[in-house]
Formats: sequence, structure tokens, C-alpha cells
Amino acid sequence: MTAGFWLESCLIYYRPIILGMRYTMKCHSVQKKLSAYQDRELEPRGQEEVGRHLLSCQSCREQYEKLERVWQTLGELEEIRPDPWFYRQLTRKIKEPREQGLLPALQHVFQLLCEPVIASILLIIGLMAGSYLGSMLAQYDLFPFQSIPVSSSQGTFFTSMKVFDPAPPGTLAHGYLQMVSYKEDESR
Amino acid sequence: MDKEIPSEDLMTRIAKDDTDAFEILVNRHQTSVLNLIYRFIGDRAGAQDLAQEVFIKVWQAARDYEPKAKFTTWLYRITVNLCLNELKSARRRRWFSFYRSDGDSEDAIEENFSDGSPTAEDLLLARERNHQITDALQSLPDNQRMALILKRYDDLSYEEIARILGCSVSAVESLLVRAKRTLQEKLRNF
Repeated sequence: MTAGFWLESCLIYYRPIILGMRYTMKCHSVQKKLSAYQDRELEPRGQEEVGRHLLSCQSCREQYEKLERVWQTLGELEEIRPDPWFYRQLTRKIKEPREQGLLPALQHVFQLLCEPVIASILLIIGLMAGSYLGSMLAQYDLFPFQSIPVSSSQGTFFTSMKVFDPAPPGTLAHGYLQMVSYKEDESR
Repeated sequence: MDKEIPSEDLMTRIAKDDTDAFEILVNRHQTSVLNLIYRFIGDRAGAQDLAQEVFIKVWQAARDYEPKAKFTTWLYRITVNLCLNELKSARRRRWFSFYRSDGDSEDAIEENFSDGSPTAEDLLLARERNHQITDALQSLPDNQRMALILKRYDDLSYEEIARILGCSVSAVESLLVRAKRTLQEKLRNF
């Protein structure tokens, strides 16, 4: 037995007490059928049974009225009319592909391929530019940890990773730590 | 007189390149196809283009058409497939270009006040309500939205909707229950 089942059972049992209404097991099965009842998709006997229940049960009637209100609201959505030249345009379009041959299909394929290719190229350019700028900054002593010699690309990578240290070389925190360790050495 | 000719018979004539039959068929079904698309994608200009695409498919497929089911079921199936494909490519376009279209429905609302002179307040209110209903519809998942539109505006049976969407009748029932529940929540201020 799942938690959902127990919750549903409790709701069915206690709802009449909470709402002060007469809510039976029948209400539960009727409310499941309300949508099909509204669409007149139940068997004739089912339609009749639900209809009869709605006459006598306020709770289910309220549910059904809510459904009906939504249905009415959807009816307000406007209907559009075709352009007066719809058929003329249509016949022109029907003739067009025969004149153009394979060109529109090729254009479509090109469009499909073009967008992901351009996005990939931009991504690669971005990554390369980022990597190049990173190594430039390290080489030209623009980072605070400039005192560390950079000899190779591997060195640049590890140097760059020093940024994530709690006290990267060259920062105030690093200076303080060095000062403290110097004093400790002196005291020894 | 045109109304007396069943759409299935018109399709037989269209298969023999009869353009008069095609014109009758287009005139008969263009409004329902157009509005089905418009309510589904929520874009007026896009709906006109897509409705034309539907009839182009009808023209091209006329020779392969076999009247097994109702003509409208077949027509709506083409429409639904085109709508779903269009939405997929529109989402992809939007992802790349951050494109979003809105405000298409305003002309349509003015058209609906055909008796003459709507006041500015009437127009504003109608626009606002229309936007809210459109937004509520657009918030539904694609298959729930399509099932709901086919039921509400075209009054199709569950069986017909199931055939159009390619699912079971019980799945349609479940889609409609969930769609109605969501809309009850979204439109509770109406």
C-alpha cells in the first residue's frame, strides 16, 4: 500500500466531516468521470447515473460547475478568418517547388546544419581565447603571484590553480602567513 | 451545391488534377484547419502559412488517399503532424535567436467586433482575456493541448481524437482530464 493510497482513503473518509457535507465513495468515482460526462463520452447508463448524482450532491455539482466555467471561458477565444487571397497564394506555392527543384531542400539542410556548426565554432574560439589570455596574464606578471617562475604550459596551469589557495602567493594573507612563520623561526 | 459533394469524392477528383474540386475542398475546410493551427501554435501569421502547407500536402497526397476513415480525420492528422514539426523547429529557432512572437491576436479581436464600434475599454478587456486564455492553452503540454482543442472547438469524439493523435481512447480521456485540471487552475480568476 502506498502513501498516496492511504492519503486518498483518509481524504475520502474525513472530507465529509471537514466540509460538513455528505461525501461518499460514490462521489469519488463520480468525480473521476466528470470530464467524460461533460464530453458525453460515458455509456448512456453512466451518463444517467452521474447526472442523477449531480442533482443530489452539492460537492460534485460544484466540481462540475467549475469544469463548465472553464469550458465556457475557452469558448471566448476568438476565431480567425483565412486571408482573402489564401487560395491564390496556395496555388502559387503548389507550382513553386516544381520550378525551384532541389534548391529549397538544400537550403533547409544547410539551415539545419549551419546553426549548430556556428555555435560549436564560437564555443571553441571562446575556449581558445580564454586559455590564451590566461597564459598571457601569467607570463607577463599580471597575476599577484608573479614571483613564481613560469616555464611551461603545465607550469602555467598549476600556477593558475594557486588562485584557489586560501592564501595565494603575493596576497596580503600570504605575506602575513610568511611574517608569522618568520617570527616563529626566530623565536626558535 | 458544393456542400452536397462529399470531401472523399472531391479527393478522387483532386487525384486527377481537378483544380475546381481542390478549390471547393480548400474553401470548405480552410477555416477549421486555420483555427486548429492558430489555437495550437498561438501565432496568427504562422497559422496562415502552416494552413497552406497542410493543403499543399493534401494536393500532393491526393493520389495515395484511400477513404478508409472520415476525410476530416485524415486532414486533421496531417495538420497535427505539421503543427508538431513546426513547434519543434520553432523551439530550435527560438533557442538560437531568442525569438518570441506575440500580439498576433489583436487584429482578430477587432474583427470579432463586427457590429461596428467597440469602445477602447471593450477592446482592451477582450485583448486581455484573449491573452490569458491563449497563455493558459499554451502552458499545456503539446498532446494535452491538441486533444483539448479538438474536443472543445471541433467537438470530435474521443475515438476520432485517438485516431488523429495515434493513441488509445483511454489515453485521450486521461489527456483531457489533466488538461482540464490545469486550465481550472490557470483560469480560476475568470
